[in-house]
Amino acid sequence: MADPRPLSNSTALRDEAVLRRVRQLGSAHDGLREWRLQRLTALALIPLGLYFASSVLWLAKSDQTTAVAWLSSPVTALLVILFMLAGLGHALVGLRSVLLDYVHTRARLMAISLLVRAAVVIIAGASILAVLKLFLGR
Amino acid sequence: MERPLSPFMFPTWYRFQITSALSILHRLTGIALAVGSILLAWWFISLAAGGELFAKTHAFITSPIGMLLLFGWSIAFFYHLCNGIRHLVWDAGHGFELRHAYRSGYAVLAVTVVLTVLTWTYVLFA
Repeated sequence: MADPRPLSNSTALRDEAVLRRVRQLGSAHDGLREWRLQRLTALALIPLGLYFASSVLWLAKSDQTTAVAWLSSPVTALLVILFMLAGLGHALVGLRSVLLDYVHTRARLMAISLLVRAAVVIIAGASILAVLKLFLGR
Repeated sequence: MERPLSPFMFPTWYRFQITSALSILHRLTGIALAVGSILLAWWFISLAAGGELFAKTHAFITSPIGMLLLFGWSIAFFYHLCNGIRHLVWDAGHGFELRHAYRSGYAVLAVTVVLTVLTWTYVLFA
């Protein structure tokens, strides 16, 4: 071992140097980037998710006009778009990690990954378009 | 190569433990929430479109099947949120001891139940 320093005080979330040490030990591909993306989106989703859930809970007691007015307001539009982007980015990494565990054929893995990616992009795009339509058209 | 691969490990090779069950539940709820994002996007679209599309979507959401789906997603959301925080604490290097992992696991289950019950008490009775 060229570098025996312990990693305990420099996790990958904080220290880019870990990638350098890991690289020669195995096939990293996009692993570290995805690992970081999963954690960073997770952190963002704590406040965004609580905000969204409590808003929807409040909307459950109101009508269509209130919901449209809520989604059209600038702060809501921004936060909902960020929530969808963080959530779907998080979902993409998570679903990929499930696929990596259960799909053992390279071609099949690539095909399913591409389908999941396409679905996520469509869902994100459609949500953002819908929010923007309300925001711009109010 | 005859070594067992991941989908077939649980009933045959592993004994049931709360820690591994919670880990699998984290994945299952994550998948459920990803599927739920389809309905969420659909709800945004129906709000933007208005009219008959919103009426139909609203009728579906408030139907028994829609409410059952929302109930399931609320459990999945609270569980994945709480257990996700548990995972982030592990990522920061804390709580790895077995008794701590068990304690935080039961705490996650308890908080999930409390938040779900509070949410649906508010929706149905408040």
